[in-house]
Amino acid sequence: MLYLLRLEWKKLNKQIAFRLFVIFYVLMLPSILLTAKRLGDLPPPLMTNEVFFIFPTVWEYLGYIGNWLCFFFFGFMAIISVTTEYSYRTMRQNIITGMSRRQYFLGKLYWILAVSLFAALYYALCGFVIGFFSTETIYWHKVWQNADYIPRYFLMCFGYMSFGLFLGLLIRKTGLALFLYISYIMFLELVLRWGVHLQLFEHRSMHFYPMNATEDLVPIPMLDMADEFISKYGFSIYLQPGEAAVATLVYSSLLLYLAYRRVVYSDL
Amino acid sequence: MNVLRINGLSKRYGRIKAVDELDLTIEKGMAFGILGPNGSGKTTTLGMVLGITQRSGGEYEWFEGQYGQDYRRHLGALLETPNFYPYLNAVDNLGIVAHIKRVKQPRMQELLELVNLWHRRDSKFRTYSLGMKQRLAIAAAMVGDPEVLIFDEPTNGLDPQGIAEVRDTLQRIAETGKTIIMASHILDEVEKVCSHVAIIKNGRLLASGTVGAIISEDFLVEVAAEDMQALQQAFAQDARVNKAELQEGQLLLHLQEEVPPAALNEWAFSKGFTLSHLRVVKKSLETEFLEITSSDR
Repeated sequence: MLYLLRLEWKKLNKQIAFRLFVIFYVLMLPSILLTAKRLGDLPPPLMTNEVFFIFPTVWEYLGYIGNWLCFFFFGFMAIISVTTEYSYRTMRQNIITGMSRRQYFLGKLYWILAVSLFAALYYALCGFVIGFFSTETIYWHKVWQNADYIPRYFLMCFGYMSFGLFLGLLIRKTGLALFLYISYIMFLELVLRWGVHLQLFEHRSMHFYPMNATEDLVPIPMLDMADEFISKYGFSIYLQPGEAAVATLVYSSLLLYLAYRRVVYSDL
Repeated sequence: MNVLRINGLSKRYGRIKAVDELDLTIEKGMAFGILGPNGSGKTTTLGMVLGITQRSGGEYEWFEGQYGQDYRRHLGALLETPNFYPYLNAVDNLGIVAHIKRVKQPRMQELLELVNLWHRRDSKFRTYSLGMKQRLAIAAAMVGDPEVLIFDEPTNGLDPQGIAEVRDTLQRIAETGKTIIMASHILDEVEKVCSHVAIIKNGRLLASGTVGAIISEDFLVEVAAEDMQALQQAFAQDARVNKAELQEGQLLLHLQEEVPPAALNEWAFSKGFTLSHLRVVKKSLETEFLEITSSDR
C-alpha cells in the first residue's frame, strides 16, 4: 500500500492542478468561516455570529463550507488524476513498465483514501483551533458532542472522490468528465429528486440518491427550511447520518467496482 | 530459452482482423525484427503481449512462464510514442519508472549519458524535442537493465539526425547481446539492428527466419546486347547465375556471389556477345521488402 501511495505522490506532487487544489482548500476552509467574523447582528434564529465559531456548532458550519470545497477541489482532483493519465498515455505506460492493472486501480483508490483522510484531519484541526479560541468556557463534552462530524466528513470527501474517479476512468476526457460531474451533482440529481421522484412518490426515498447521500453526511446547518419541509411532506429534508453513511458506502463501492472493471478489462 | 512464444494470437475490431492467428517464437539473445507496412498489426501484437490490448484469441507466454503475470517488470518497452509526465523532468520521470520496476538505485547518470540527455536532466519533459523524448523513452526502457527490450517504430517522426542518433544507440544496445524485439516498417533499420526477422501483413505472418534467409542477398547486374534472347539463353546456362530475367529491354542477372563486371564482360565476349550495357545494381532492400509484402494479396 505504501509502495503504491509513494508512487502516486511522485506522480502528482509537482502537478500544478494538484498543488493549487491543496493550497486553495487549506486557505479557504478556515478563511471562509472566519469572514463571518465581519457579520454583526443576525436575524433570528441565529441572533449573533458566535454560533459559527463555538463548540459544538463550529463542526456544522465549518463542515458545510468543507462540503462545498471537497465537492469542487477534491472531486476535481480525483477526476484529473486519472484523465490526465489517459491524455498523457502514462497509464498505459505504467502498465507496460510493470504495474498490473489491479495495482494501478488500487494506487488510485489508496490515493483518494489518503486525500480524504488529509481533508478530514485538516477539518478537525481547523475546527479545534477555531472552536478553542472562540468558546469562552470549554466543556469537553460540548467539544466532542458533534465530533462524529469528523468521520462523516472523511466519508463525504471519499464519496465525492469515488464519483470523480469513476467518471474519470469511464469518460477519460478531462473536460467532459468535469462537466458531467458538476452538472450531475448540481443539476441533474436535483431535477431527478425534486422534479421527478417527489412528484411521483411523496416518499423519503427521494433522498437516497448517491450524491445527495454524500452531501447529507455534512448537511446545511440551517434548520428553518428543514422544519418547513417536515410540516409540508411529513418527513425530514435530510437523511439520518447513519443512513447517509451506509448509502454513501454502498454507492461508492458500486462506483469503484465499476471503475475497477473498466481498468481491468478495457484496451488502454 | 524462449523469451516469448506466441500461439495463434488474434485481435478483432468488429469485422476487421488486426492480427490473425499469429505464431512466433523468440529466443534469448536474438535481435528480432517485426517488419510490416503501416497498419499491418505490429503495434497491436506488441500491445497484446504487453497486456495493454485485450486479445480476442490465442495465447502468449513470456520467459517460459517463470515470472507468471509479473513478466513486464523484466522487459523494457517503448510502444509507439514516448509517454511521460510533461510537468516532470527527466530524472523524476525515470524515478517513476524505477519505482514501478522496484529498482532501488537506478543508474540515472549512466542511462541519461547513454542517450545523450544528461545535460538536460533538469528540464521538464514538455520542453523536449521529439528526438529527445524518443531518446528518454529508450533510457526509460533500460531502467533496471531488463532482460528484453522492445522498441516499436523507434525512429518514427524523427529528422535524419534524430534517426541516426537513435539507430546508433540501438546498435550499441544490440551489441551488448541483449534480446531485442523491434517493430518497424523501415527495412534498413531492421537489417542494421536485427539478426532475425518476421514479416507480417494484414495481421498475418508472411515469412520468418534469419535476416539473411529472408532477404535475398543476390548480387545483381544489368546487361544488354543486340540479341537479348540469345544473351538470356547464354547466361541462363552459366552456373554462377541463379536467374536471368528480361526487364524493360535489359537482362537482369541474379548472381550467387559478387563477380567483377570485367569478368562478366569478358565471358560474354568469349560467347560472341558485345555488351552495350553493363551495370551493377544495388538492389534496394526496401524494394525487396515491398516485393515480399505485395506478393501476397
